[in-house]
Amino acid sequence: MQNAYSSRKKRGPGNIMVLLILVIAAVFTLFPIYMAVLNSLKTDGEMLNHILALPTSLTFANYSDAYHKIDFLRSFWNTIMITLIGVTGIILFASMAGYKMSRTPGKLSQFFFAFFVLSSLIPFHSIMITLVKISKELHVQGSTYGLGLIYIGLGVALAIFLYHGFVKSIPRDLDEAAVMDGCGELRLFSVIIFPLLLPITATVAILNALWMWNDFLLPLLMLTDSDYYTLLISTNMLFGEYNNDWSAILASLVLTMLPIIVVYLLLQKYILSGIAEGAIKG
Amino acid sequence: MNLSRKNKQSIILLAFVLPSLLFYAVFTIAPAFGGVWYSLTNWNGLNPTYQMVGFSNYIEALGNDPYFIKSIGFTLKYVIVMVVLQNVIALLLAVLVESRRRSKVLFRTIFFMPNMLSLIIGGFMWVFIFTKVLPVIAEKTGWLLLDQSWIGDPSFSFYSIVILSLWGGVGYQMVIYIAALQGVPKSLSEAAAIDGANSVQNFRHVTLPMIYPAVTIGIFLTLSTSFKVFDAVFALTGGGPGRSTQVIAINIVEEAFRFNQRYGYASAKAIILFIIVLLITMVQLWIMKRREVEA
Repeated sequence: MQNAYSSRKKRGPGNIMVLLILVIAAVFTLFPIYMAVLNSLKTDGEMLNHILALPTSLTFANYSDAYHKIDFLRSFWNTIMITLIGVTGIILFASMAGYKMSRTPGKLSQFFFAFFVLSSLIPFHSIMITLVKISKELHVQGSTYGLGLIYIGLGVALAIFLYHGFVKSIPRDLDEAAVMDGCGELRLFSVIIFPLLLPITATVAILNALWMWNDFLLPLLMLTDSDYYTLLISTNMLFGEYNNDWSAILASLVLTMLPIIVVYLLLQKYILSGIAEGAIKG
Repeated sequence: MNLSRKNKQSIILLAFVLPSLLFYAVFTIAPAFGGVWYSLTNWNGLNPTYQMVGFSNYIEALGNDPYFIKSIGFTLKYVIVMVVLQNVIALLLAVLVESRRRSKVLFRTIFFMPNMLSLIIGGFMWVFIFTKVLPVIAEKTGWLLLDQSWIGDPSFSFYSIVILSLWGGVGYQMVIYIAALQGVPKSLSEAAAIDGANSVQNFRHVTLPMIYPAVTIGIFLTLSTSFKVFDAVFALTGGGPGRSTQVIAINIVEEAFRFNQRYGYASAKAIILFIIVLLITMVQLWIMKRREVEA
């Protein structure tokens, strides 16, 4: 019935209009990426004269040039380390706090919850100046591990909020049965509860990894030593330094995009549902 | 007995919350209060000593800093355009994508792709498009409209910032709307169709009221993210030419870290941004709540 309904609808002229709009929007969306890839494979002269044409022969020299100029491996590694420390810390700490606050009745628990929710009102730009100063004093400024720790402090509150909501869907009987069996608090959480949190843990991981991987302003303010540059900071430096060397810039943009686009195409189902869930609950 | 059980419970709660609390207090709450404190001083970041100056930073920012006022105006214009365009386009795409059967996943994947990338990366790609590719297309096709100084001319760079932001942001909003549309029972719109409603009426009177909560979220999200816009402007124009495309966030960063390092003064601007975002958020939620109740 439903198939008949939709296939009848599909044949009208409206359907062609819909398709046309979608195709135009898709072309607009992919055009900059396509142009970047296309021209990153050309020589300088070819780019200058035939910017829209397909490359006559593939040149990978731009890539080896970009690879060195942004110190790709090191920048990539730094970005991974920061993201890994930040995401792991947030999952660990927020799941504990969210679970326990959700399970404990009373004023203290409510106070903590309100205190964490407060963070959603504070824009990063309103705290960044003092954050730089505090980070300097605590010696967490300017290194990958330090940046990871700062991300925990900035992101843990939203994750607690997500965990707090999710824990309500797990029956309390489980906790009580485990306690009856003589299971300690920490064991109860780590062995029984934490695995059950997996769906929301996936959401938290996706949201935070995307944020940390793509965040620009915090590393820009914190990292002064090029040994610790992230992919974005290295690319930004390249852009600033070799302003008109588009071959190297485009190649470095493609190098920076490539890992994340591969991950996206592999995991897009999970990423999209995680995004939708995070946005609606957060 | 009862009391000691309660005490034990509180201690366990504290133990579970403590790690989060520590990081949150040090890296979010302390800087927030620190920001308020320093906004009342003449601290300049280099000098170890500073004096309390009361509200004079705020008075200077709002009364005697034309660039800051201009950046607020520019941001406001950007916010209004973004809230309208981003949500309208995202909702349109969501409805159209949802109406497809086989190509649904393909289009959704494409439209969300820019959201996976930093706007710094997207911004640099668009600089290439605006400065190198569009002039060639304009020349080849004769569409002179495309051949503008998209980055260098302030009257056009506003549009290029909007284009980049929409390119990078619509997909996120679309995913939220698609999730909402999937929650609308098919039977409702089918019943309306049988009653003779055309697809526009159907959308206006059946679907739209059903996804109203998602629209609230969508508008609320765009509003707060657009007010804090930084990356898109930084990558595209850097706030220039001159200071013509400076948004609030760029103005604050320049005040604090680039030119004079007037940390105290920049903190006052940061608190002003906080208050603006807070006020707008509250008004927004209030209006939306009221309309939801009415509908």
